[in-house]
Amino acid sequence: MPTVQIPTPLRPHAGGLDVVEAEGATVGAVLEAVVSKHPALRERLFEGGELRRFVNVYVNNEDIRFLEDLETPVGERDEISIIPAIAGG
Amino acid sequence: MPFADDGRDPLERYSRQMRFGPLGEEGQRRLRSSRVTICGCGALGTVLANHLVRAGVGFVRVVDRDFIETHNLQRQILFDEEDVASNLPKAEAAARKLRAINSEVVVEAVVADIDHTNILELVSDVDLILDGTDNFETRYLINDAAVKLGKPWIFGGVIGSEGQTMTIRPGLTPCLRCVIETSPPPGMTPTCETAGVLGPAVAVVASFEAVEAIKLLAGKLEALNTELIMIDVWDWAFRRLKIAALKDRVDCPTCKHRTFEWLDGKQGSHTTTLCGRNAVQVAAPRGHRLDFAELAARLSGAGEVRHNAFMLRFAADGYEFTVFPDGRAIIKGTNDVAKARTLYAQYVGN
Ligand SMILES: [Zn+2]
Repeated sequence: MPTVQIPTPLRPHAGGLDVVEAEGATVGAVLEAVVSKHPALRERLFEGGELRRFVNVYVNNEDIRFLEDLETPVGERDEISIIPAIAGG
Repeated sequence: MPFADDGRDPLERYSRQMRFGPLGEEGQRRLRSSRVTICGCGALGTVLANHLVRAGVGFVRVVDRDFIETHNLQRQILFDEEDVASNLPKAEAAARKLRAINSEVVVEAVVADIDHTNILELVSDVDLILDGTDNFETRYLINDAAVKLGKPWIFGGVIGSEGQTMTIRPGLTPCLRCVIETSPPPGMTPTCETAGVLGPAVAVVASFEAVEAIKLLAGKLEALNTELIMIDVWDWAFRRLKIAALKDRVDCPTCKHRTFEWLDGKQGSHTTTLCGRNAVQVAAPRGHRLDFAELAARLSGAGEVRHNAFMLRFAADGYEFTVFPDGRAIIKGTNDVAKARTLYAQYVGN
């Protein structure tokens, strides 16, 4: 199953998990399965079916914006990461 | 020229660094004739300044709006208890220490709040801009200035045990906005004040930034980082996210359309001193309503929080914050606009 890496600030909304496994053939389908399991994540990731503008998603270290966005196909071993913008310093 | 009279080779103090093959003597000479501005002299900024002054970068300008407080000492490596007692601005205390470390380097301290009115002046006479700030508002402003002037800059951010960095060369790499189109709205992103930060995490990220600076200034361009680096020192995680292809794919308002919203003062916060009230209003329009429950949860570790549908009240460090759903805040306990902006970035986040 594809895995989704949950960044630290979102873990409290994903039952404290750092990795969630979910079924799906595309990035969009996998993320939809993840937010169904962890409903508190939905509004943090999506706004009207679209990813929020400040949410950056990578598949195997590549930004989905230069793959096929939410339509990017994923297989069993693919790793999806939600990458937060880190503000501090 | 402090070493000119004693007949010693002025490059001798850098011998161990010059023996590092990829840098060499020629690289060292280029460092010596280079100029940088470090924006922000807190955790990242002090580590950056320390490395670059020791490495022999010819001119280092440090810009910061804050004074040193005891809780800075855990991670802001150029400061000590005496600096706190003397009530020195960070930029000035850092400059004194840096000159003592390497008297050959010209160190300029600027005590100022970096905003759209002064940034071009602070960066136009240097070869490289370094990010030692703690908020995205200033980073997008640096990005605007860097893209406009065609100057490289190095982004770095840290929170908790994790951080990220990327090296931006306008025209050659994606800019900050190509990669991070917008930052999370205030209250939705942790800050060092709400989520904490480890000194070693800052040191690791700033050290990566410093190595990139050395490569860039020494002309070793082929060795530069072209990815978004993510590091977690607690989990031993190191990731390299491929971003190079974003440069031509993203319809970036900044580097493609050359609209500079932060530099033009159209984006970013506006502050007003509330006369006679010992308070400052910070307006940070984001076109997004704050989630008070989320902000309250985030702030609960840092002080006392209460909220209803109309406002959130929060007290910490002797200041009282009243935050409104549109992101506007009134910070009581200071008349100092720069201090208020700092507190806003620290607790509400931007
Ligand atoms: Zn761009």
